[in-house]
Amino acid sequence: MAHKKIFLDYNRCIGCKACEVACEMTHGEARIKVFEFPDLFTVPFNCRHCEKAPCLNVCPTGALFRDEDGAVAFDPLKCIGCLMCAVACPFGIPKLDEENKIMDKCDLCADRRAEGLLPACVAACPTEALKFGEIDEILWEREGKVVANLKAAAEKGEGEEALLL
Amino acid sequence: MAEKLVPVVCPWCSVGCRFYAVSVNGYIRRIEFDYDHPTIPNRGKLCPKGVASYQFINSPKRLKKPLRRVGEKGEGEFEEISWEEAYRIIAEKIREIKDTYGPEAIAFLGSEKITLEENYLVHKFSKAIGTNNLDFPGRYCQYSNSPARTKVFGSGAATNPFEDVSRAELIVVWGHNPAETAPVFFGQYVEKAILDNGAEMIVVDPRSTRGHKYASLHLKPYPGTDLAVALAMLNVVITEELYDSEFVQERTAGFEKLKEAVKDYTPEWAEKISGVPAEDIRKAAKMIATKRAAFLVNEGMNQHVNGFNTALAIADLIAITGNIGKDGVWSGVFPGAQCGFCASMTGIAPNNLPTGRPVTDAAARAELERLWGFKTPDWVGLDLTNMIREMGKKIRMMYIAGGNIAKSAPNSAWVREQLKKLDFLVVQDIFPTDTIKYADIVLPAAAWFEKTGTAISAERRVQRTYKAAEAPGEAKPDWLIIVELAKELGLGEYFKYSHPDEILREINSVIPVFKGATPEYLAEHPEGCFFPCTEPGEGTKILFKSGFKTPDGKAQLQPVEWMEPPEMPDEEYPFWLTNFRLVGHWHTLSMSEESPSLQKRWPEEFVMINQKDARELGIKTGDLVKVETRRGSILVRAEVTEQVREGVIALPWHWQANFLTLDEIHPMTKMAELKAVAARVKKVEE
Repeated sequence: MAHKKIFLDYNRCIGCKACEVACEMTHGEARIKVFEFPDLFTVPFNCRHCEKAPCLNVCPTGALFRDEDGAVAFDPLKCIGCLMCAVACPFGIPKLDEENKIMDKCDLCADRRAEGLLPACVAACPTEALKFGEIDEILWEREGKVVANLKAAAEKGEGEEALLL
Repeated sequence: MAEKLVPVVCPWCSVGCRFYAVSVNGYIRRIEFDYDHPTIPNRGKLCPKGVASYQFINSPKRLKKPLRRVGEKGEGEFEEISWEEAYRIIAEKIREIKDTYGPEAIAFLGSEKITLEENYLVHKFSKAIGTNNLDFPGRYCQYSNSPARTKVFGSGAATNPFEDVSRAELIVVWGHNPAETAPVFFGQYVEKAILDNGAEMIVVDPRSTRGHKYASLHLKPYPGTDLAVALAMLNVVITEELYDSEFVQERTAGFEKLKEAVKDYTPEWAEKISGVPAEDIRKAAKMIATKRAAFLVNEGMNQHVNGFNTALAIADLIAITGNIGKDGVWSGVFPGAQCGFCASMTGIAPNNLPTGRPVTDAAARAELERLWGFKTPDWVGLDLTNMIREMGKKIRMMYIAGGNIAKSAPNSAWVREQLKKLDFLVVQDIFPTDTIKYADIVLPAAAWFEKTGTAISAERRVQRTYKAAEAPGEAKPDWLIIVELAKELGLGEYFKYSHPDEILREINSVIPVFKGATPEYLAEHPEGCFFPCTEPGEGTKILFKSGFKTPDGKAQLQPVEWMEPPEMPDEEYPFWLTNFRLVGHWHTLSMSEESPSLQKRWPEEFVMINQKDARELGIKTGDLVKVETRRGSILVRAEVTEQVREGVIALPWHWQANFLTLDEIHPMTKMAELKAVAARVKKVEE
């Protein structure tokens, strides 16, 4: 079964950090981070909820687990703060909650999903740069747009440039 | 402990985003996005300020009790007093000043931070006291574009709903940074036009703003010289006969005069002044003339002494290219605060009645006096800049409802000195702002989420927002403060309100354009209605479809002439200094500074310097530099970047940029020079 994840259409991102603030307002700490580059290029980056998640594989206590929607979620009561997940993660996603000495990471807003709501960062994103869906859905949508634009360009006549989205 | 979902309008900018405040026993626990109403302007989306919007109301710095000054003016030393005592002192002082100097020695400021109802009451109260010295800090916001558009089209308001921006073929972003000042508008309408519908974009700005990556053409005039660019565009459109001749013939007047006025302003002439290549000006003018264009114009164009001329030129350009009065175009004012229209549409100005008629119109005054039941003054009062100039002279007392002029007004060090000269200053606000340090009496007001009221967005959408939280301590909504103070003054019979609904009903009958925006209609329709709404449910989405609001129904084209900015770089001060806004902050920081999530991400000011200039000055990113103008200097960190053109340095506006600006004003609009002054910058050894 394909799982729902957060995908990024970086072309639409304006680096406003609404996702960061929405995450912080929901979880107390932002689990998504917007990286800014000098040429106004911006990329919000959160946990990828990998299909073969190294963090999950190395967790000795089973605090990290895959929930029914496919998110790599975690149980704070089982976490012993050994930092193995932080070491294993290629993206540096799991962070230590300094106060409680346990780990903290994106769980795709499990509480919100349980109520049928979108993850907070996706719900907020004013430009719809963040999308929540299955990979095929997202890719088909993008591909569909490219095809539609090529068609439209062809109909308009020669010399019209297709919009590659 | 039931959770209540209270529908509110976001308190920051004027896009008019809605969301739910999740309220428990008078406290806001969190917010929830409103995806239930797809026709609201934000379609559920929010920017960082919107998501963090209720944080500031819980700040420990909130004013909770009325205060009386005990120390010197400017020190900010106060003692707590009761509401009764505060009202008594203010009423006594108002009587005393009226007796000694007459009511014209008292001045009032409304605000774009308070609701439609509250601005209306500030206006009514000032007239009841007998003064027309009435204005609001929006004087420094839209007072170039709004009067210019009124002169040309008869009304300054936005012509179309936001929806039409996404249907435009060309987006002209002129001195505006919607990706940072209105991210939801940018994402939901501008990006959709460009990325989904294939629209093109022209940016006119000395800085590369966030959204400029989508632009096919970026003109970078020196600050304050974009008037030259606008004049050259008019010149190109007219001499190359690119204008919409049918539209010009049928719907406009004064074309020949305009043609004569701009005939010498060639793109080559403009290139010498503005530094924008003539070829680019030609290209842009052609695009504007041949496509359905949306004009997004804001402070970068507005906040100049010559901004009125630029705004006139742009309005002329819109008219002769026929980019008005139809689908798929957009132009208008875009207030920076959520209630800019609440102040302007209730006539908060020295020369207006709330009905939109001038104070000098005896018949209009008689009509208003019949509705209100008391006499209103017939003289034109002072605008904000002249109020500041006359402090201690003509103006002895000032009543400020939620403005922070000690920081927001240009040349703020001088403003602070002027504030000290007042006999008496009353400020009602939610935080101890810089202006409050000069107050004699401070009244704690309820914040946006703590009261019910009406807000009007940039697209003329009238929406209701509801009380979601209890005000802290003894803070009260601004409308209630005015009602109670009026009672103390013996004016109670004219201010018999116990709920904002009653005030809105009175507005329905007094201000014709809001006749249909009744509390009942707005309660049932969260998406609101577009003013002018004459009957409930009958708003006007597109203005000027057949005629303009001018006497003959035609757009009155205005001949415009070149006007130099009041201060230009010279040997001593070789840079143009301009300012801009950050996505995470709002105006003078008074509320965003108290939002930890925003303050953490946008913690301090910096100055943007072009790489080439920085190399010559030996400045690197992170260096401490001194930015100096003839008015003063500030120390900030440098950010060396390609995002600002050479010869220009740029500061975020929010912290203290107005320490450096000029108090020179335009003779008619009184707009100050806030965006283009001569400056020098040098590295400071730490």
